[in-house]
Amino acid sequence: MSTATTSNSPGKWVVLPHYAFAALAFVALSILLLFSTDAFGGHYFHPKLLTLTHVAALGWATMLIFGAMYQLLPVVLDCKLYSEKLGTIAFVFLAVGTILLAWCFWHFELGHLMHLAACSLVIAFILFNINVIQTARQAPKWTVESDFIVTSAIWLLVTGIVGLVMVLNFTMAFLPAEHTHYLKLHAHIGMAGWFLLLIIGVGSKLIPMFLLAHAEDFKKLNWSYNLINAGLVFFIFDHLFFHTALLPVYAALVVAGVILFLLFIYETSKTRQRNDVDLGMKQTFVALGLLLLPLVLVIVVSSNLNLPQQLLSSIYLVYGISVFFGFVSAIILGQTFKTLPFIVWMHAYEDYVGKFKTPLPKDLYNHSLQRWQNITYLFGFVLLITGVLLRNQQVILGGAIGFTLTAVLYTVNVFQLLLHKVQELKPFAYGNTGA
Amino acid sequence: METQVPEEFGNEVFETLKYIIDPEVGINIVDLGLVYEISLDGDKLEVNLTLTTPGCPMSGTIVTATEQILLKRFPNLDVKVNLVWSPPWSTEMITEEGMRQLEGKS
Repeated sequence: MSTATTSNSPGKWVVLPHYAFAALAFVALSILLLFSTDAFGGHYFHPKLLTLTHVAALGWATMLIFGAMYQLLPVVLDCKLYSEKLGTIAFVFLAVGTILLAWCFWHFELGHLMHLAACSLVIAFILFNINVIQTARQAPKWTVESDFIVTSAIWLLVTGIVGLVMVLNFTMAFLPAEHTHYLKLHAHIGMAGWFLLLIIGVGSKLIPMFLLAHAEDFKKLNWSYNLINAGLVFFIFDHLFFHTALLPVYAALVVAGVILFLLFIYETSKTRQRNDVDLGMKQTFVALGLLLLPLVLVIVVSSNLNLPQQLLSSIYLVYGISVFFGFVSAIILGQTFKTLPFIVWMHAYEDYVGKFKTPLPKDLYNHSLQRWQNITYLFGFVLLITGVLLRNQQVILGGAIGFTLTAVLYTVNVFQLLLHKVQELKPFAYGNTGA
Repeated sequence: METQVPEEFGNEVFETLKYIIDPEVGINIVDLGLVYEISLDGDKLEVNLTLTTPGCPMSGTIVTATEQILLKRFPNLDVKVNLVWSPPWSTEMITEEGMRQLEGKS
């Protein structure tokens, strides 16, 4: 009798642990930030800043993205996830690698434990790549979103390999140039290649979907993909081999690519049928607005503007903060409440839909906490970048407090969702009489 | 929405399917324009429906829910639900009532 095509969704145990770990990592990140207000006065190559960056990039952002991708890959690519087991194994390697790496950076232990951490992370990235590429190979139709997602996974692996080489270089010193030279490479491949491409690829599918808008013209997205990757590849080769003065040109290519993506979202959102933009989508639009800050700063840091060294150091720090604490954190804070409630709802209620009156995904978490989370986030972010620019530790501390409040509110809501239990449901009234 | 069934029965089917709410949008699947066609051949009730996007994780849930709710409402019929992708769903398929509900949410 049933002809129902089964859903492509993976089991909840491959997805939900990532959300739990990421939320706890966000709390850890904000607490570490509270104890790092003294680290923002100088160069970015500082043990505390390296710890913060890697907890943010790996434990918070990459962890959550891995979990979300196992749920969203089947949506974007319209096929089943290649392997849930690989996803679970990758989770373990990513979690262990992140904790070890954070410990090593905080205590600046650059020996075997850090080697182990880096190897663990590279293994996690290899497993993730296998899962993404093999899933994409099953996709019935190849789209520009698939290009973004698969390429971003490859850039993640490249970022990890460069990181591993740098970790080995700490003890073996075999690289020809100084460490910060490769750190720039590592950071930019991670920021533009992994986070930016992935968020554009997934966002260009999900944002129109959530707005009930229809995207028709994908030329801008195609050019966005080409420009960002071209800028990144030119940058890598130039940085490694040629050392020309063309860095602002490569940065401009990436910026142009991002602007085309923002134009795509703007034009698509004009066709939207949903006017009830919820808090999750509002926060997503805040994130897209915040994306403009690193776009401006990447041009500044790549141009030789002869700024005072102290100001330039602060701008470098704000540039990094604007990516990890700005755009990436903001979009996660928004999109968590567009994806996680739905995932929890589906696993809890799919057997009851059509038989009982069920709550909706938006009924499973606290909107008031979410509103305050968004407010404290903006407050914390503005204070943090202001404090770093002014080199004022009290203002930085204010920003850290803002982030800690945000992390606590976010985590309470996330765990409320993760621990949700099905309540007593009322059957539909007609069903009682009609059956 | 096409029906190849007596009008009164068709209305009853659509009213029943209005109990199924799209969890993301918060609007029932009929007013969202997801139900394309219903037909009745003897005791075999067939429903063609779509989703707002291919690959939607709700596919299994909505198809199963549609079957279950129709079986409960019409226990003497053999219910078959087909998930179809042609024509692709677009926002023009939302009914006037659906649009009213969407606007009411702003």
